[in-house]
Amino acid sequence: MISTSPKGTLNNSTVLITGATGGIGRALVSRCLAQGATVFVAGRDQATLESADYSTDKQIFPLVYDVTDEHAVKDAFRQIQKKVSDGVVPPLYGLVNNAGIMMESPLSVTSMDKLKQQLNVNFLAPYQHMQYAARLMSRLRKGSIVNVVSMVSEQGSAGMSAYAASKAALTGATKSLAKELSPVGIRVNAVAPGFIDTPLTEHFEPEARNKVLQRTAMQRAGDPAEVAEAILYLLSPQSSYTTGHVLPVDGMFAP
Amino acid sequence: MNNQDKLRQAFVTALGVKPETVTDELQYNTIAEWDSTAHMVLIAELENVFDVMLDTDDIIDMSSVKHARLILQKYDIDFA
Repeated sequence: MISTSPKGTLNNSTVLITGATGGIGRALVSRCLAQGATVFVAGRDQATLESADYSTDKQIFPLVYDVTDEHAVKDAFRQIQKKVSDGVVPPLYGLVNNAGIMMESPLSVTSMDKLKQQLNVNFLAPYQHMQYAARLMSRLRKGSIVNVVSMVSEQGSAGMSAYAASKAALTGATKSLAKELSPVGIRVNAVAPGFIDTPLTEHFEPEARNKVLQRTAMQRAGDPAEVAEAILYLLSPQSSYTTGHVLPVDGMFAP
Repeated sequence: MNNQDKLRQAFVTALGVKPETVTDELQYNTIAEWDSTAHMVLIAELENVFDVMLDTDDIIDMSSVKHARLILQKYDIDFA
């Protein structure tokens, strides 16, 4: 893939990426490293985090925790705070709330436990991450937050009401926090992927996959690297006058 | 600089007020300089100066300079 981003747009910047071991997460970590960022990669599985090959490990710091564990999230930010104050890493500039789960379940068979789990991972956890990140960023009055939402939340999809609602909540928070945090120099944007070839979508049977692609103007699935490029754009100072925006990366998908 | 001085200076830096403004009685949202935006900057400044990370409940309770000191004491910051 040909990159259109100039080299080093994230020099002297630290970025935290949740869901770093997934398809989009891995692509994004590589792109951020290529742009000179120091990257904290967050994931639940230590072995997976440590086995990821990003070509270089000099600027990578793994953080193993569950994004829904409030105390673990605080500990993770405490580690970042310590490394910043000790001069080990540059100040926290970016947060990408990429961790997410996708539950497909019709209304009548959606248990409250499953619904809460969906909301916990896709909305409450990103919200708590934004609370801590905004505090670290506000001191320097500079920062950029990118939330990974979904085109499903923008347009709805039968059988995915819980997932759509959780992502719609995050979209609402994105737009509101863009206004709230603008006075302290923090931008908040979102990327809304359509059908992307990642572990989240690999369970689709060929027929179901084709049906989705028929509703996509570009007639193909997206590549994680294409989503990563969009996130990188919103994360970096290249989009310095853009906040509160939801950028579709969906090949013009109509769910 | 002792911790009381550090506390006062953190308020001065974060809120952009004069040192004499920072008294125990100074309360959140009673002066233009200490609004919700400045509150977040203040929290960030206190966390940096005292090398702590505050719980959200403590941030909500931090409604005055006096409360800030009491809350920081919970994090083993000594103001004696």
